[in-house]
Amino acid sequence: MTVELLEKLCMLNGASGDENRVRDFILSEISGYCEYRVDPLGNIIAEKKGKSTSSKKVMISAHMDEVGMIVTSVKSDGTLTVSPVGGIDPRVAIGRPVFVGDSDIYGVIGAKAVHNLSADEKKTAPKFDALYVDIGAEDKAAAEKLVSLGDFVHFSSEFIHFGDDFIKGKAIDDRFGCAVMIDLIKSELPYDCTFTFVVQEEVGLRGSQAAAYRVAPDFAIVLEATTAADIPLASGEKRCCELGRGAVVSYMDRSTIYDKELYGISRDIALKNGIKWQTKTMVAGGNDSGAIHISRGGIRTIAISAPCRYLHSPSCVVKLSDLEDCEKLAELMLEKMCTM
Amino acid sequence: MDLEKSIMSLADARGVSGNETTAAELALSMLKYYTDDCFIKNGNVIGHFGCKGAKPHILIDAHIDQIGFTVTHITDDGFLKISGCGGIDRRLLLAQPVTVLAKKPLDGVICAIPPHLETDESKVPEMEDICVDVGLTKVSAEEFISLGDKIVFASHCAKLQGDRITGAALDDRCGVASILRALELIKNKPLHSEITVMFSTQEEVGERGAKIGAFDIEPDIAIAVDVSFALTSGDSEVKCGAMGRGCMIGFSPVLDRELSQTFKAMAENRGLPYQIEVMSGTTGTNADRFSVNKHGVKAVTLSIPLKYMHTPVEVISLSDVENTAQLIAAYITEVSA
Repeated sequence: MTVELLEKLCMLNGASGDENRVRDFILSEISGYCEYRVDPLGNIIAEKKGKSTSSKKVMISAHMDEVGMIVTSVKSDGTLTVSPVGGIDPRVAIGRPVFVGDSDIYGVIGAKAVHNLSADEKKTAPKFDALYVDIGAEDKAAAEKLVSLGDFVHFSSEFIHFGDDFIKGKAIDDRFGCAVMIDLIKSELPYDCTFTFVVQEEVGLRGSQAAAYRVAPDFAIVLEATTAADIPLASGEKRCCELGRGAVVSYMDRSTIYDKELYGISRDIALKNGIKWQTKTMVAGGNDSGAIHISRGGIRTIAISAPCRYLHSPSCVVKLSDLEDCEKLAELMLEKMCTM
Repeated sequence: MDLEKSIMSLADARGVSGNETTAAELALSMLKYYTDDCFIKNGNVIGHFGCKGAKPHILIDAHIDQIGFTVTHITDDGFLKISGCGGIDRRLLLAQPVTVLAKKPLDGVICAIPPHLETDESKVPEMEDICVDVGLTKVSAEEFISLGDKIVFASHCAKLQGDRITGAALDDRCGVASILRALELIKNKPLHSEITVMFSTQEEVGERGAKIGAFDIEPDIAIAVDVSFALTSGDSEVKCGAMGRGCMIGFSPVLDRELSQTFKAMAENRGLPYQIEVMSGTTGTNADRFSVNKHGVKAVTLSIPLKYMHTPVEVISLSDVENTAQLIAAYITEVSA
């Protein structure tokens, strides 16, 4: 996976339900390398021919959407109230720049000056219903010329390389998975594989439900980003997983109890091929596996995740080596599943 | 002088209280357009205009520092523990991108307890629970970073709708820009009094640059050009000014009432929009220091309304900066005529 590709994907704005720009970019990337269709929900279902065809059908999936916000009203002073789309801690929204609507109007999520806060206010972060976006409009009429109710709001966040091979950006969850899949589609694969770039993961694993139904695979691999808490304030099992320790494969999270055999196989394959592998030390989080593994009569599913600090914030942080480990493991798991 | 460009370049320059050099040098280079007699002394940028020794000697000041953080410790796993420089709003720190002003500028992200371990989304982290992730091991971090290095929000100025601008250090770089703009307006006009311009350090930690600067300058009249609160959602209409309605002229027991009235009358006579900012005691600006300098100085505040003070996304209106500059220029012209 090239970092340049990941950067392009992360810089695109695509909250759940507003994945058009991400989808268009992905289609332009994979066009010519596979057969694809876009389903009624907006999922991309791409059929990639490999060197051989297996009797087992494998689906690799990643979601195109990111967490964001949606405009719910325009106030008399020209500011916009918003609701979160997906799980956002309001504390990572306050004091940030954002883009509003299809034309990416620049705005900020302001906050009453710290000087004017009461002692209680200083100690209590505002809830989402107290936040608002200021695009600089003088009043309601001026704002309404530019913004409509239901417009999506995205974080503005630079994609940067920092420290020892770390990357910071928005939407790494799950454009990282999209980048790996684009890369695999462009490469020569040992077996046929179906790739699904799905919508609306962040609002309840919705796109993947429809995609898994249509594809009806025997096996599924979900590529994701998962919470790492390897920071000084968390110790022991509370760290969940750590950056630099490789691909994360869970035995269980809040949406899925993973296929035990696949879990073991992934560890064996990683070990044999010098791929760093780790599991989570807490049952936390969830991903499209939750919808996919109970699709139709049940689909054997594994999730391969990149450990990510500050997930669902505009400043997701991942380490390059982990992304590479995830990609290698996904490719080898595909090969293994096709011969099971 | 392109006011918008000047504001944006000044606000994007870095200068946390106690280490204002980068911002101060930029401001000095801009001040040089208007006088050769300018320099940096003890961190303060000073420029002289008019007739030396002529009365009244007028000081026009804006502070050059911005809020930020300072590195206090590097943990065993390479994270930085920090302390605030100036009034920090801890509600908005989580996952904020920052720049560590180390031997070379380093990118980082502020972190605290992650959501799966802290389910109360209304909880504001204590400063001692906050650290900065620079993606380095302790050994590499120590190679570049020294204790005491400053940290700023990694934020860039940008244009909003109309004439509004957002950025991190508009408090008080827009004040600096308004003074430069005033100097532009009076360029080539004869000045018969002595005028000193100062862009002072360490306002955010207690107006310290102003104190030592004024001691040297010994003005008769001091004008502190700073920012004040523009009304934002949930704030008090009584306490706040309105964005886009002009300069806020200070009236307070610690300010010289005659001077405040002079500015008010001048704004009215010239048709400049203005607002009255009433404060019941000290002003929280450099004027508090100026008024008690040596044997006492007549002081006033001129404030540019600003939203979201001390956040990485402060907002101002260009017209307010221009109108403040017009008012300063008008005053200098009248007093010096």
